[in-house]
Order: sequence, then structure tokens, then C-alpha cells
Amino acid sequence: MFGFFLVMKAEIVRSWIIMRRYWFRTITGLFIGYGMLVVLVLGFMASSDQVEQAMSRNFEDAAAATNFVLGFIIGMFAFGVVGMFTQGLQGMARTGILEQLCMSPHGLITNFLARSIVSATMTIASSAFMVYMVSLTFGETLHFYPGEVLLLLTLTFINLLGFGFMMGGLVLVFKQVGQVAVLIRMALFGLAIYANEDILHQGAVVRSLMHALPITDAAICLKHVLIKDHLLSDGTVLPLLQHPSFFYLVLSCIVWTSIGVACFRYMENWSRARGTLGAY
Amino acid sequence: MSGEFLVELDGVQKTFRLHHFFKVDEDTQRRRLYRKQRVHAAQAVSFAVRPGEIFGLLGPNGAGKTTTVKMISGLVRPDRGEVRVDGLSVERQRKQVLRRLGVVLEGTRTTIWPLTPLENLAYYGNLKNVTGRVLKRRAHELLDFIGLKDKKNVQVRLLSRGQKQKLAICIALIADPKVLLLDEPTTGLDVQSSRAIKDKIIEMTRDLGKSVVVTTHDMHVAQELCDRIGIIDKGRLVACKKTSELLELFSDRTFIFRVDRLPSLDPVRDLPGVMEASNELSADGPMLIVRLDAGMEARSAALYGVVGLLREEGVLLRGIDQRQQNLETVFLQLTSSTI
Repeated sequence: MFGFFLVMKAEIVRSWIIMRRYWFRTITGLFIGYGMLVVLVLGFMASSDQVEQAMSRNFEDAAAATNFVLGFIIGMFAFGVVGMFTQGLQGMARTGILEQLCMSPHGLITNFLARSIVSATMTIASSAFMVYMVSLTFGETLHFYPGEVLLLLTLTFINLLGFGFMMGGLVLVFKQVGQVAVLIRMALFGLAIYANEDILHQGAVVRSLMHALPITDAAICLKHVLIKDHLLSDGTVLPLLQHPSFFYLVLSCIVWTSIGVACFRYMENWSRARGTLGAY
Repeated sequence: MSGEFLVELDGVQKTFRLHHFFKVDEDTQRRRLYRKQRVHAAQAVSFAVRPGEIFGLLGPNGAGKTTTVKMISGLVRPDRGEVRVDGLSVERQRKQVLRRLGVVLEGTRTTIWPLTPLENLAYYGNLKNVTGRVLKRRAHELLDFIGLKDKKNVQVRLLSRGQKQKLAICIALIADPKVLLLDEPTTGLDVQSSRAIKDKIIEMTRDLGKSVVVTTHDMHVAQELCDRIGIIDKGRLVACKKTSELLELFSDRTFIFRVDRLPSLDPVRDLPGVMEASNELSADGPMLIVRLDAGMEARSAALYGVVGLLREEGVLLRGIDQRQQNLETVFLQLTSSTI
């Protein structure tokens, strides 16, 4: 456990130094993110009714912009966390840093867990800032319940972490999986934007598939709290803990984390046997 | 093998299976969908390294040097045999083993370029369980020792290749490991940087009491640096001896008598202990080249005999040299291949 905090400390210091040293890049990154979101929202608001109807029902209600932005941010979060295990791992393998991590006495899983937490916290902080700024720009306000939001973000992160560990395990053995993973990340990104309760009223197969994906229920729950203020489409109030998606989110967390960590361990051993551990 | 060794490899074996898709069959010239190939990276490799010793693993490209180092560091799992570091099994006690190892692998950057050397050491120190004042003190000591004191606050991306390599060695040493594994530490470095790295490795074993396993295909590095050398070829350890013993074992017992004129060869050839004799004219003047028997006594008698004959013939003797054997020729003799 001590090792985990040590790695986390090292990661925080490293990230902080790089962020401070390249301050211009950090600030422009935030502005570009904000500008991109504003342009996207404006684009959707200005688009014709037919396009709106064709795209999604999300844009028909008054909070469409905020809904879209929040979905976008959750998507970015999913994109980032999974990307850290795929492209990030590939990059570290190329530079030789991965070999050093593999030879750290704390173990590869601890190292990655600490790195992910630090990176995710920074993503959440910058994303929260951007969401706030965009909602202010368009006059929409989010219904912010700190306890519930924190719980949901944690569960979302754990969920993605499990999925990321599984993908990362594959990348340890088959480095080229990293390229394919971009498609998976894009799919998660799209799902986060368009996920809503209606998806869960599809047929059993589609429904099961949606629940199995690590971002669907997380996005629905976050939107249910932050945008809809616990209100269902018929106007009835449904507390977060009673929302079916919350149950599936918790279940999905347990399943994905177990699968992810087990897969990562297995792949790490397999990678050692193949002689590809840490190398590109 | 006993506890007197810090690194022990006992009958270690590793075979990689390479998979080729859509490979053309050489016999039928037809395209085949799938073909497997086995590469024996290590075949029953056994050696041991004592504390304070610099052990060199020498071999041509693809001989299995890096695989051997990776098996010691736990990055590659051997198919058979056992690797032990400080008496601990790399397979069963990997985490404890990693605390005792510092590794610099070839061709990788290792260092984080946007950070300074001091920040790199702090980062990797934490990854290796070194913290607080100990980490701070050790980081400064190492940078001072390796000669990067004045560059401690300069971003790594601005350092030269040699300085980056020095920093990689400092990173490997930050947790004060008992054993340091260096994979081709001087490859791609200029003469000065290479010399500096070699000097530091020697200093490290003398002053800090580390054991070093160094892989190289540079004969000069191996000859100057290593106390003992293992020559590896196609995954097999074909020789493992002290550097001096290895040179002696394959020493060329050829002597060059630099003279003022060429002497008659027949009396020389008839001398006991003389295996072969020939005359040569070089830019340096006339030379009598004599190959002698391996036995020390016979060799001594033959040398006295040749000198006596030259005196009798009235040949002026300008000097005697023994043809120097270097590791490169030993290596070529053992591996029968080109580097």
C-alpha cells in the first residue's frame, strides 16, 4: 500500500513539473478544449431540425447543449483512461520507460493504478472546469450534488480502469492492439455522448450489450444527476441509488475490474514468456 | 553453486517462437499462410558472478546476450533452469530480487526528457522505494560521482547522448542495488564518453562494491572492463573464464625476432621446441618469425636456442616481440563468425 502512494506521489510531482514547465501548452490546452466544445455546441444548435432529429432526441429538449457537452466530457474521460492503457503503454514501451516500470518492485499493476488515478484526477479537474465554463456560456446550469457526483465519477473511473487493464494486458503482448484500440475508444466516446435511458428499452440482446459496455450506465447516471436533477422523462423523481443503471454500474465495476486485473496479470506473465514485456 | 555468488544462472534455457504469416516456401515457391520458427536464445546457460566482480557477456548480434540480461532482471521468463540473485529466485521472489537490481537496457531512453536529472532520480527513486532525505542525498552523490553535478538542473532533452547514458546508470543505481546489469552501455557513444562510462563502471565496483554484468560486442570494452568474460554464441555459453586466462588459453605462441639480416632457417627449425619458423621482410626491417611449443620449459629452451643461433651466425638482434593476442581473435576463434 505504501508503494502505491509512493508511485502516486512520484506521478503527481512529475505531472505537476511538466504542467508548470510547459505552462503555455497547459493553458492553451484548456482554451482549445473550451473553444472546441463551444464550437461543437453552436454547430448543433444552428443545425437544421431534420439533422437534429436524425442525430438524436437529446437535442430536442432545452438542456440539449449541456447534455451534449457533459456526454462529450464523459466520452473524453473514457477516451483518456482507456488510451492511457493502450497508446500510453505503447508510447512508454517505445521510450523504455515501461521496462523500468516493469522492473519496479511495486509491480506493474500498482504502477499503472497510481498513474491512472493521477491522470484521471487531472482530467476530471480540467473537464469540470470546461463543463462549468460551457454551461455558463450557454446559460444552462448543472445540478451539482458533490457526494453523488464523486461517487459516480469514482465508479465510472473504476469501471474504465478495469476495461483499461484488459486492453492494456492485450497491448503488453500484442503491441499493435494499440492501433485497434483507437476504434474501441471512439466507440466508448460516442456511446458516452448519446447514452440515455431510451437505449435501455431496446431488445434483450442490445440491452445486455449496452450494460456490458463500461460507459453506458455511468453516462446515464451522471446525466440523470447533473442534468435531469433525478427526474425521469415522465416527471417522477428517482433517487440515484434506486436508478437501475446505478445497480448495473456497480455490477459492471466489479465485473470489469475483476476481468481487467486478472487479464492484465495473465498477459503480463504471457508477455514475460514471449519476451515482449516492456519492449516495443 | 553457493551463496558466495550474487548472480547465478543454472542451466537456463529460452526458446522464442516466431510466427510468420504469408511466408513464401523456399522449396515450392508457394505462399504459405502460416509458419513457425524456433529461435534458441539461451541453451543451458550457466554462470555465476561474485560480489565486486565485473562479468562481461560477449557475443555477436542475436547471440542471446540481451535475453540473458532480461532473464536476470525478470523481464523474460526462462523455459528451463533457474536464475538467482543474491540467493533469491527471480521467478519466485521477483519483487525482492528487483530491489537488488539496477538495470540499464540497450537502445532505450529510460530517462524522462522534460525533467532534469535530479527530478528523474527523484521520480525513479520513488518507483524503487527510496524516499526523503536518503533519496535526496543519494541523488546528489550519484550525480556528483558520475560527473553530472553541473547538469543536475538542466532538462534531459538538452543533454548529450553520453550524459543521458550516465544518467541512466545513475537511475539504475538510485536504489543502491547490489547488482548492476548493463546492456551495451557504450554503444553509439563517442570515444571520450565511452571511456568515461568505462572508468565509472570500474570505479563503481571498486568504490561502491557493486557486481556488474555487462553485455557488449565491443572487444576493447570487454578486455579493458571485465574481470571475467563469458562468450555466448547462438544461445550457448562457449567459454567462461577470467579475461587473462582466456587470452592465455588462446595466446599465440609466436615470437618475432627483429634482426639486421635474414638468418638461415634450417638450424632454427631443427631446434627442440620450435614448431614453425619463417623469414619476413617488413617496413620495419627483416624479421624471423618463430612459433614455439605450448610448454613453458620447451618454450624457454627454444628461445635460448634461437638467440644462440643468431649470435653464432653473427646476426644483429634488434629486439624480440611476442605477437599480442587480443579478445577479438579469441572471440572469432570461439564463435567462428564475423562480428
